[in-house]
Amino acid sequence: MPIPADIYKKLVHAKVFIDEHFDSPIDLDAIAGEACISRFHFHRLFRRIYKRTPHQYLTSKRIDHARRILAAADCSVGEVCMRVGFESIGSFSMLFKKEIGVAPGEYRAALKLSRAMAEEQPRRVIPHCFIAEIISEKSNIQEAGDAGKG
Amino acid sequence: MITKVSHMSLFVLDQDKAFDFYVNKLGFKIHTDQKMDNGFRWLTITPPEQPDLEIAVLAPLTPGAMGYDDETRKAFKLLLEKNAMGAGVLETPDCRATYEELKAKGVQFKGEPKEQFYGIEVIMSDGVGNWYSVTQQKAH
Repeated sequence: MPIPADIYKKLVHAKVFIDEHFDSPIDLDAIAGEACISRFHFHRLFRRIYKRTPHQYLTSKRIDHARRILAAADCSVGEVCMRVGFESIGSFSMLFKKEIGVAPGEYRAALKLSRAMAEEQPRRVIPHCFIAEIISEKSNIQEAGDAGKG
Repeated sequence: MITKVSHMSLFVLDQDKAFDFYVNKLGFKIHTDQKMDNGFRWLTITPPEQPDLEIAVLAPLTPGAMGYDDETRKAFKLLLEKNAMGAGVLETPDCRATYEELKAKGVQFKGEPKEQFYGIEVIMSDGVGNWYSVTQQKAH
């Protein structure tokens, strides 16, 4: 049965509410309230449209933001956990690893390493077809013939 | 033996505006955003559920970019300003919901979602030179 246009707008409004408030302690009641639809119907319609539950979507937004903070800031994993809306470091770490494949601390360490490599040796990171013409005396990109960096 | 696509090129008028569109509005993830000391910006993004497909967001109008001469840059400028580059098809679980949300965020569309034989589709512009088909595949 097709979803009426006004219901679509309500569901989209609720989804955008999650996008803008994921770092707050929001729950299904609060989100369904934004759509002005009963909890049960909201859950069913959200899952139908977005192919995941509101809780799954909320978790993915929090994990995604955690990745960005881990990439940009030096705060502790505990601080990241609180900043993205989780209440327990244990849950945060478990869900992060489930979604990303590694624990938050390992993720940050791997990112730092790949960034350092990109800065020191861009040729190892950028496919050469994109940079063949940008090598200049002022570039930090080393010529292939330069000695010994391996 | 070729096995898959690892990188695609996406030519844009402006990398900052492209970043805002793809990362902030569409939810693409940043893979690498590295500026070299000669000004070249290597910006790659990945679709939300395809972490191993890197899309290189390239600004061919930047002087010196990729060794293009003036004539080539002029050609790129013409095509990108006309929004002539059809960059591909973006998949969505629900075309109408995606359309409503992105329209509210100021994204430009050509018409409204329409039923096609392959699913429900709407045509979208990225605002920096490219257009896409945004398609909800027909359920089999």
